[in-house]
Amino acid sequence: MYKDLHVYQLEHPTQVIEWTSGRTVCVAGYSSSKNEILELHLPLKLFADENKGLCAERDFKVVHGGFAEGPVCCLRHVPGTRCVVTNDGLSSDLQVWTVGGDDSDVIRRTGSVKGRRSVSEGGSRIAAPLSSQLLHGARSSDVQLTQLTSGQILYTLETDSADPLSSLQFVSDTVFLAGCCNGNVYIADTRTSAAPQLSPGPAAWGGSVLWWTDASAGRVIRLSSSGQAVVSDLRDLGEAVSWAQLDVQSHRCNPDDVRVSWAPALDNCIAVSGFSGAVQIYKTSVWGTERQDVQPLFEHRGHAVSSQSDDDVFVTAHVWHPERPRTLLSAASDGSVHVWDWVDQSEL
Amino acid sequence: MPEIKVTPLGAGQDVGRSCILVSIGGKNIMLDCGMHMGYNDDRRFPDFSYITQNGRLTEFLDCVIISHFHLDHCGALPFMSEMVGYDGPIYMTHPTKAICPILLEDFRKITVDKKGETNFFTSQMIKDCMKKVVPLNLHQTVQVDDELEIKAYYAGHVLGAAMVQIKVGSESVVYTGDYNMTPDRHLGAAWIDKCRPDILISESTYATTIRDSKRCRERDFLKKVHESIERGGKVLIPVFALGRAQELCILLETFWERMNLKAPIYFSTGLTEKANHYYKLFITWTNQKIRKTFVQRNMFEFKHIKAFDRSYADNPGPMVVFATPGMLHAGQSLQIFKKWAGNEKNMVIMPGYCVQGTIGHKILNGQRKLEMEGRSTLDVKLQVEYMSFSAHADAKGIMQLIRMAEPRNMLLVHGEAVKMEFLKGKIEQEFSIDCHMPANGETATVTTNPSVPVDISLNLLKREMALGGPLPDPKKPRTMHGTLIMKENSLKLVSSEQALKELGLNEHQLRFTCRVQLQDPHSDPDTLNRIYTHLKSVLKGYTIQHLPDGTVMVESIVIKVSSSAEDTSTKVLLLSWSYQDDVFFCFFFVSFLSLIFSKQWLRDSIDS
Repeated sequence: MYKDLHVYQLEHPTQVIEWTSGRTVCVAGYSSSKNEILELHLPLKLFADENKGLCAERDFKVVHGGFAEGPVCCLRHVPGTRCVVTNDGLSSDLQVWTVGGDDSDVIRRTGSVKGRRSVSEGGSRIAAPLSSQLLHGARSSDVQLTQLTSGQILYTLETDSADPLSSLQFVSDTVFLAGCCNGNVYIADTRTSAAPQLSPGPAAWGGSVLWWTDASAGRVIRLSSSGQAVVSDLRDLGEAVSWAQLDVQSHRCNPDDVRVSWAPALDNCIAVSGFSGAVQIYKTSVWGTERQDVQPLFEHRGHAVSSQSDDDVFVTAHVWHPERPRTLLSAASDGSVHVWDWVDQSEL
Repeated sequence: MPEIKVTPLGAGQDVGRSCILVSIGGKNIMLDCGMHMGYNDDRRFPDFSYITQNGRLTEFLDCVIISHFHLDHCGALPFMSEMVGYDGPIYMTHPTKAICPILLEDFRKITVDKKGETNFFTSQMIKDCMKKVVPLNLHQTVQVDDELEIKAYYAGHVLGAAMVQIKVGSESVVYTGDYNMTPDRHLGAAWIDKCRPDILISESTYATTIRDSKRCRERDFLKKVHESIERGGKVLIPVFALGRAQELCILLETFWERMNLKAPIYFSTGLTEKANHYYKLFITWTNQKIRKTFVQRNMFEFKHIKAFDRSYADNPGPMVVFATPGMLHAGQSLQIFKKWAGNEKNMVIMPGYCVQGTIGHKILNGQRKLEMEGRSTLDVKLQVEYMSFSAHADAKGIMQLIRMAEPRNMLLVHGEAVKMEFLKGKIEQEFSIDCHMPANGETATVTTNPSVPVDISLNLLKREMALGGPLPDPKKPRTMHGTLIMKENSLKLVSSEQALKELGLNEHQLRFTCRVQLQDPHSDPDTLNRIYTHLKSVLKGYTIQHLPDGTVMVESIVIKVSSSAEDTSTKVLLLSWSYQDDVFFCFFFVSFLSLIFSKQWLRDSIDS
């Protein structure tokens, strides 16, 4: 079932896992008071491909740490720098941090970026395309591109409605996608002042639902809180290429925890989490244009199975390794963090 | 202010040879005396020149304490005691005392015989060193001398590992050595009471590690063994007589039972005897589960694990063999290795660190061609797996331990160049205590605030209560007077009368006198009367008496008036007061002088 499996217990649960390099990730607490931000180095054994047997090192190393005054709901690494940006989910302002430097192990707060509106529910989404710019916003009406060093606003998204966002990401150097909780998707180019393209949400099978979006290599997936998944082409979001009813416990979904993501190094694979204590991998290439129930290709149930807490455990975050095809990291509400490399049984 | 000083010694900048000096209450203690396994020269030994530039260490150290038998904690002990020179007591637990010399001898053999080193301790030195050892029992306070006492606590980690509390008077330090906060299959978890030491000393690597679960490590081990067995291969697991071997046996036995596997598992001869012998001696050091098993049956009575015979190594088909010694440097494990190394279906699993110079060390470094005795080479075709099963605490564990012991200060030994500000800040914030991180050779000084307990006599307490006024309150302390007697080892606060009685001393009264000259034509009694009247009107609320013997008393101050022999208008006022009233006298005297040299008084003097 697994080629590699590592199970860790953090002192406090995290809602964020963000790659800061090919071998390090940042995690952070989300309690209402003071929280830690940690940069962890993944175990050496995971990367020792040829001489794996000779490497006994299976542990995370805490390489840097810092303290945040409030919860950390969103954390983004600014590529090409040693900076990360966070949002506390209470306002749309962002905090800027520098990781390490001067031979120190501290993650230090070095600045902030003001959001367009001071108060917002649901917190801001953040996307970092280049090393000096940040795209952020909590609603479709307050998305802006800010110059990191000067604070200058380079672009603002103008929309008619103020839909809360569930995702914000770049699909090219200047074109970005803003996915709203109501299923609407805006696509805009930061170089132009032209109006964004709006694609309304797909017809929901389960009544009023929330939607999450992820885009990669020209495809877009939208997932609803009732487990409905729709695959579209980026250039034609109005049409669905395929869809399916996923096998998720939709009645228990926690909006803050749901994540859907395309595998960066595998074709047509998505990972879904936040509905329970499991992370599910689905292969979208077998989906059709008729509504059908599908089963996951793989299900990582480790968090629920090995949980020591009495309450139900929820997976709060997952990320794919950018290069290793089947390696993922997942975190749950009990503070556990797993690193796993799954085996595709269908290929055996 | 009293202080405790802590200096980590040690070679090189990395953690690896624990050796910490503590100065507490005038006593000097050495904690652990480890060897750095990565160096071949003097850098592998701690730098003892910090204690003294030349000469023996005996007069500079009150005792040496060893936490457990791992070489990075005791490897330099014979060198320190026999080659540098130390004749004082060396404290360690019973299991450590039994196992240490075996590991040291093995290590010595490898270093001298295999690597041909000359400046190394000899077998005799190991024996002489162990003669200085005083064994410790858990939770038992041992008096090193009149003032220094030590106590060992269970640390988990390996058989016999201890955390040690060092106490002088009311100052104390706890050193953790290596410890583990979660029980494993054959050892319990570390435990300490809320002893509130002034300093808790531990290693920083704990706090910066988040350990992979035991389950995953075991899963990996079982998976590797199973894969080899499935393809018909043989698995060799070189082990030391006990500890990890126990753990892995229990694991395999359970797995074999669950998966209904048929391949044989063997223990090499000698292993079972040694292991049983040690466990009988040290059963109290293992955990509850093992103890229960041992009572019912022999330690090594497993359903699927049998005693090994040399000839079995040539049997066809899959098998698993546990054999000593652990680093493949000699004996049976090496013999078996030589037979099995040439087949790629086979596997060797190294469950622990191997010292430089051993075959184990070479194959773990990827060497695939080994030079054996008689110039022959051995091709290493079998799979080599390095798995670490050693039980260490981690970031979460160290916080748990701090919560258990409630130290007033934290001290982390690290030796790494990187500043560990985050870690320091985390501990300081979470527990509101200072966190010190001295580098090797650097001294951390911690100021302590020892409380000195004093007994107070009941009579004195009653007397103070009888003085009335508000009850003493921690926010509003009240001064009280008494005499402090230090007798034998106790301190008592008693009334002065009781002190005089107890000590057989006579009470002496001190009275002071002073003379003030005054011009006054009146008669002596008249002057005295005027003084009396004026004082009465000015010093209201004080007891002022005019006594028939011709004196005026203000509280206990006595005032007499007499005339100078030459001139009757020159009056000499004699003032006398006791030592107890010194403070009051100063106040009175100021009033008195301002009174008799006032205009009113002069006018009255002239007028009458």
